[in-house]
Amino acid sequence: MLVVVSAVAFRLLDAAGGDSLAGLSDNPNISTETIRRLRDIYGLDRPVSQRYLEWAANAAKGDFGDSISLRLPVTSLVLSRAKETFKLAALTLVIALFVSSVLAFASVRYRHWLLDSFVEICVLVTASLPVIVSSLMILAITVYLINLPAAGGLFLPAISLTPPFIAMFLAQSKRGLQTALQQDYIVSARAKGLDETTIILRHALRNALNPIITLTGLSVGALIGGSVIAETVFGLQGIGSLTVTAVRNRDIPLVMGVVVFVSFAVWVANFSAELLQIVNDRRLVDAERS
Amino acid sequence: MTPNAHKPMETGRFIKNGRFYSRVWGRLGLAILFTFAILSIFAGFFAPYDPAEQDRTKPSAPPSQIRVFDNVNGQISRPFLYEVRLTDPLFLRYEENRNNRNSIGFFVPGFRYSILGIFESDLHLFGIVEGSGKVHLLGTDALGRDRFSRLVYAVRYSLIAAPVGTLLASILGILIGLLSGYSPRIVDLTLMGAADAMLSLPALIIILAARAAFPLDLPPERAVALLITIFSTVGWAEMARLCRGLVRSLREREFVTAAKAMGAHPARILLFHILPNAMGSIITQATVMLPAFLIAEISMSFLGVGIQEPMPSLGNMLAEASDLTRLTARPFTILAPAIVIFLIVLGVRLTAYGRNMDTDVI
Repeated sequence: MLVVVSAVAFRLLDAAGGDSLAGLSDNPNISTETIRRLRDIYGLDRPVSQRYLEWAANAAKGDFGDSISLRLPVTSLVLSRAKETFKLAALTLVIALFVSSVLAFASVRYRHWLLDSFVEICVLVTASLPVIVSSLMILAITVYLINLPAAGGLFLPAISLTPPFIAMFLAQSKRGLQTALQQDYIVSARAKGLDETTIILRHALRNALNPIITLTGLSVGALIGGSVIAETVFGLQGIGSLTVTAVRNRDIPLVMGVVVFVSFAVWVANFSAELLQIVNDRRLVDAERS
Repeated sequence: MTPNAHKPMETGRFIKNGRFYSRVWGRLGLAILFTFAILSIFAGFFAPYDPAEQDRTKPSAPPSQIRVFDNVNGQISRPFLYEVRLTDPLFLRYEENRNNRNSIGFFVPGFRYSILGIFESDLHLFGIVEGSGKVHLLGTDALGRDRFSRLVYAVRYSLIAAPVGTLLASILGILIGLLSGYSPRIVDLTLMGAADAMLSLPALIIILAARAAFPLDLPPERAVALLITIFSTVGWAEMARLCRGLVRSLREREFVTAAKAMGAHPARILLFHILPNAMGSIITQATVMLPAFLIAEISMSFLGVGIQEPMPSLGNMLAEASDLTRLTARPFTILAPAIVIFLIVLGVRLTAYGRNMDTDVI
């Protein structure tokens, strides 16, 4: 999969013509000879297929070349920036999962129409709050309230990334719990006289959990996408802001490095989500065997 | 893609106890979208000034204070405002000039504009009728351009790229999906492999990567065309997957067998028998795609790689918010584009909700 993605991306990036050196030709102080030599250094004068094979051979060894705009090896650049984005994404997921599970639990536990409607409105509103809107609003509010340029660490960017994920998790967990609570084993648990909280947490939750795990795995891609805006607004140095730098400078080696890294991260997330599902639900193993 | 993304919701949640009706919410969503559509089609009529017209004597002016109570004779008069004057160019402070009184009227002549490229007019919804000042509902930006006019035009440009991109991506996805669902295994596997490769990456990252392939400074029309092209090349995959699944399940149904027995051509079966039955789910998927593209365009314009100055866009207007002193001084006027984005996305979500569909898909 990675090979296909990288080949397509590489071809696409080349097809449009022009590269990060194209901008230099407007500069009267740089002779065409210099540009030609630079092209030679970065290998931009050779055919695409040859460049791709060379790039792929090096990439297989973990060497993605040097970034043209930042003049640093792409691999170390991406890995060093990944830490920040990883922390941001983890914090966002924790907040989103916590908020949505508390709300979903409350709404199925107490079954009050007011709470129910509140949860529904929450889903609609958070689903309509793109990161660009929420991050700027949070920035405005914090700057207004504490009169500080928002240097509040990862917490504020994480909060501004959460709304779409709260919408997703909340809708899914509420529906999952509702469906699970209609099953026969819940009826028998109720007949045993267990209290409702125990029933939800011990019996229904386990069955409602699998879709949530899948969603968590799937949301990693969206999290990295959202971090592009959140990191730019809050001035964090992560993968998202690195992508912006790469695109603004048309730094193709860096763009390729980011694309490969992000697809790898997404693959790892989905794979771990599948493993976690099997841990949660042994029936999946049996289904696989039969 | 979420596991239950394409399943229609059971009717009547929200909605339980009969307190809320999804229909009402759906109508509300449609009303919001309709309002913005009208606003963008008749942008010239609603905007009092040319969005590109600069006034260097009034950079970052505050919103005009519209008064109806007349201090001179103590009576209620027609709405008017006092023209402002820059008193402190460093901190951009303005003072009202009490001698320069400007009355506001409706349906006043102003700059010439065209509606849909057909009609030409110079009539505007509101403007100054008496006096030499200007009315700035949301103040002016750093170049002295009227922010309200820019906002109205920005909605227009944002409402072109995303819907057209969604439409083209849907058509491409539907064609590939139909083909894949009805072809031999090898074609099917290749096409779906390509779709999976596309889906394995977060959309915004591929869109940005694709954007890096093209020169950054593009004339506005070409920038919009490029965004539309990128959206359709990126967005087809999910639609194709959905469509293929629908074809696979629908082709076993009786009405397809009947059509086959009558000797209908596969293309005819696909277009006239299978496609109409798949339309509901296809529209659902399109309502998921639309906000995603809308946000992608806005994000890219915000980052300076989408629609660029001097053309106004919701994204590049928000780039002003990076100036923290101005953001704190007038958060509401600076963030007005953000509120518009929220309303448009909410409109799409409510409309989808009204069709009894999932709201949990981002």
